[in-house]
Amino acid sequence: MTPVWIVVLAVIGLLALPAVMLRGRTLWAYAGADALTWLLGIIVWARVPGLNPWLGGVAVAVVKLATFALFVARGSDVRWSANRAALVAAIVYTIAIPMMTRMPIDGDEPFYLLLTESVVRDVDVDLANQYRSLDQTASGRTDLVPQLGDPTGPQGEQFSRHEPFLALLMVPGYLLGGLAGAVATIALFGVLLVRSTILWMEDEGVSDTAARATFALFAFAPPVLFYATRIWPEVPAAFFFVEALRGVRAGRTKKWLPMLLGLVLLKLRFLLVAIGLLATLLWQRHRSGELRSRETRRLVLAAALLAVPMVIMYLISGDATSVHTWRELLPGPFDRYAIGFFGILADGMSGIAFQAPFYLLGLFAITRWSGTPQGFRLGILASLPYLIYLLPRHEWFGGWAPPLRYLVFLMPVLALGAAAMWERFSRGAIAVISLATAGLVVHGVAFPWRKFHIANGENAVGAWLSALHHTDYSRLFPSFIRINNIAWFGAAVVVLIIVFGLRRYRIDLAIPVAALLLAIAFAAGQRPGARIEFEDTHVEHRGGELFPELYRVFRVAYRGGWLVHGGDSMSFLAGPGLWRLHAVTGLGATIQIGERAYEIQPAEGYQEIPVVIENGGRVTLTCLSGALNLDRMDRQKAGRQ
Amino acid sequence: MKRIQWIASAALSAYACHLVVLHATLRPVTPIDHALPLLALAVTALAAVSYPAVMLAVPLLMVSEFAIADEATRLFAFGVVVAAAFAVTVVKDEAGQRWLRPLVVTVVALVVLRWIPLADVMIGRELVLVAVALAIVVILGGGPIAVAVAVAAALATPAIPLRTLALPLLVLFVAFLARVFGLPRLRLAIPTAAILGFMMLFFAWSGVTARALPWFLRVAEKKPAQRTVVQRALTPGEAVRFDVPPAARALIISGGNIAHLSRGALLGRIEPGGLELRIGNVADWGYTRREHYYGTRNPLPSDPAGRLQGYGYGAWVGGAGRLALPDGAHSIVVTADAALPAGSTLQVEGFE
Repeated sequence: MTPVWIVVLAVIGLLALPAVMLRGRTLWAYAGADALTWLLGIIVWARVPGLNPWLGGVAVAVVKLATFALFVARGSDVRWSANRAALVAAIVYTIAIPMMTRMPIDGDEPFYLLLTESVVRDVDVDLANQYRSLDQTASGRTDLVPQLGDPTGPQGEQFSRHEPFLALLMVPGYLLGGLAGAVATIALFGVLLVRSTILWMEDEGVSDTAARATFALFAFAPPVLFYATRIWPEVPAAFFFVEALRGVRAGRTKKWLPMLLGLVLLKLRFLLVAIGLLATLLWQRHRSGELRSRETRRLVLAAALLAVPMVIMYLISGDATSVHTWRELLPGPFDRYAIGFFGILADGMSGIAFQAPFYLLGLFAITRWSGTPQGFRLGILASLPYLIYLLPRHEWFGGWAPPLRYLVFLMPVLALGAAAMWERFSRGAIAVISLATAGLVVHGVAFPWRKFHIANGENAVGAWLSALHHTDYSRLFPSFIRINNIAWFGAAVVVLIIVFGLRRYRIDLAIPVAALLLAIAFAAGQRPGARIEFEDTHVEHRGGELFPELYRVFRVAYRGGWLVHGGDSMSFLAGPGLWRLHAVTGLGATIQIGERAYEIQPAEGYQEIPVVIENGGRVTLTCLSGALNLDRMDRQKAGRQ
Repeated sequence: MKRIQWIASAALSAYACHLVVLHATLRPVTPIDHALPLLALAVTALAAVSYPAVMLAVPLLMVSEFAIADEATRLFAFGVVVAAAFAVTVVKDEAGQRWLRPLVVTVVALVVLRWIPLADVMIGRELVLVAVALAIVVILGGGPIAVAVAVAAALATPAIPLRTLALPLLVLFVAFLARVFGLPRLRLAIPTAAILGFMMLFFAWSGVTARALPWFLRVAEKKPAQRTVVQRALTPGEAVRFDVPPAARALIISGGNIAHLSRGALLGRIEPGGLELRIGNVADWGYTRREHYYGTRNPLPSDPAGRLQGYGYGAWVGGAGRLALPDGAHSIVVTADAALPAGSTLQVEGFE
């Protein structure tokens, strides 16, 4: 779709939104606000000629959507129902799809589509011929090769590591509209997810006011928006999970059992969620003395049904667990759990606090466990085995995918928790979270490709500010992918914010305190850090290359760095004093830092070379001869040798 | 308790903004940047009389300060944030705050529009102006539109010379008469939000809004054309030949001491082509300066080519106009009209 048609679609969609939900005085008031935002958009367009028109357009659209959401949340004359919410979601996702698919689909997406194409064209799941004729794939990705570890058959069959259920679900959509139809199928699940979540909130006794307020923060915010408009199994999984939970709460086995089966069919890893749900049910019934033989039979039947996806995977790949092994279920080292847990919480690139801050409110609900709805508790308990399995994995952050991939299915549960606690939250904190969310939506929709990250420990804001000011702002964002100096402190701050910072006090200083923290961070960012990561944006490179290269599979397993050869140089801000340079060279190298030269002997592993920076400020490191992979440079604390 | 909240909010916000300005060392810091703590106080006052969420303007101002390097874009971004804060404040229902909000909004608007840079403020005149503006608000019943009328009247008053204060007094008198003859109290919140928002949008150059409003109604140039500077002043009756630089398409020309001439007055000619230079496509170079604006009769040139100068209420825009050169001309002759008043000049500023 051309940008002009996207704009036309967006304008029509945005004009249609109020007609779905707003009435009377609220509608008129919204019309006035809407007119003002259009006027503002036109003036900005006329007066800021240097503005990226696409970014500006997306920003205006998001401002209008936020205005609409505000009227839905606070308006006095709002026609509110789950079906209307779903209709609004349908409109917004319809606008968002062409915006989000301006770049070729990426990550696992083209492989799911390839699987759909194989089903449609060959009625099989063997992708060998699909890889041979990539010019025919609707994804436009002619660079695809089988993913690492994809199963193969004895006759040269090439299978996908991905479960075929999502590909099957996309078949009707693909037949109707190719790639757009396939994405529309996922968006349809997004719409159903919104409807189910709102209905679930009603079931659990959440007030309309709270449901209306959380609606947009859930449906049109990361990660749901980003996954509802691209080809990933996460949003359909969230839908199946919510419906399973609703079925369980309503005592309707015929509903929750197929939904649970659908969840596991989408991704084998969700088997742990299903097991968690069944175990929680069993435990709850046992505790309340309601466990009867009929009930037990149902749970056993459910457990047996959940083996079906494994049978399917066995038939396809010859292995019931596909590319996974049972050993993955064994407990990992404790520090891996800590890294995964706090990473999910506070990592700048992939953590909830920085990528989907609305769900901090859901985490707050966990700290008020006894006051939360039963459905919330059931959802959290059910997902515990899955989370325990996820945390120690090296790719807890989701790999090459938009942030929080592995947690999308849990977001409706956290949204329910947030809605249930709505009246207990600081209004200022909600405002800050809403503003941050709007910023994330603008960024994610305007630059969809930036949601795929090379996992180098920086995040988009840090890298952008670093590039702008030529100083290291990335170090101010906690990173658990490449653990930095602020990681554990940042995690502690996020925990404190969840426990104490979000609740309502008589004096609400959330916004000014956030502003002060922002100012302190800005001031701190202007000063040189105690660690220089040589591949980071703030380092000005003159020659050399990134290590590992951009698209190296499982990049997170490497110590990132910057490769330099004789003549290459780089400059960065650093304070005076003794530093330790972490680097590896197989050839040996001579480098110069400031006015001193250092000869580095070849070695198999990384070396720590003491270096002295005499005058702080912008320092130049030059590779005079040889070749060297520069990892990082740490400032020595006074007294350490 | 609420008072403590707002005092603490104001202090924290102003200090946060001060910190950001203090560390914005990588580029020139304008008087508007320096006024960021004042803007934080202004926003806090608006939030205190409307929605607490209006305080979000503070972090937005700070982000604009440290994230937008280009000066014009940054100051405009400040304007967008401040305008939004004002617009949201004036559209709020009036329950419980019929008088406090309009009075606070009026004072805050005047401070933002006229008191930056603080060093240029003539405090006595400004206080009189604030008093007159508040009187207008009270006379008109305190509705949102009353605020817009009061602020617009104050904005249009240069206060130099002192007699220009007659303008807001005249507005006050008309408002009084209108009320006496039965004008009801009007609300008109959305139009007020648009008017007030527009004024605040360009608060960083509020002097230009006040004295050359059409300047901001144009589409800004995508990339300013390269200008070859000439800077030659022609006395009445003087004719000078200029070589046209290669690729030049337009002549940039202004006048000196011609601010009192009305639209259509002949200033000179360009040959070949016999193009007449008149007030309307050229203006006095400094006619929008605050201290010279009283008595000027020049309109903004039809294709203005003057540059923005200064900040806040002291900002002004040059009166130069852009005139298309005759096709294919390698040289032109510019003649200042012999009937121009003594002491006035026609100024060829350059080619674009």
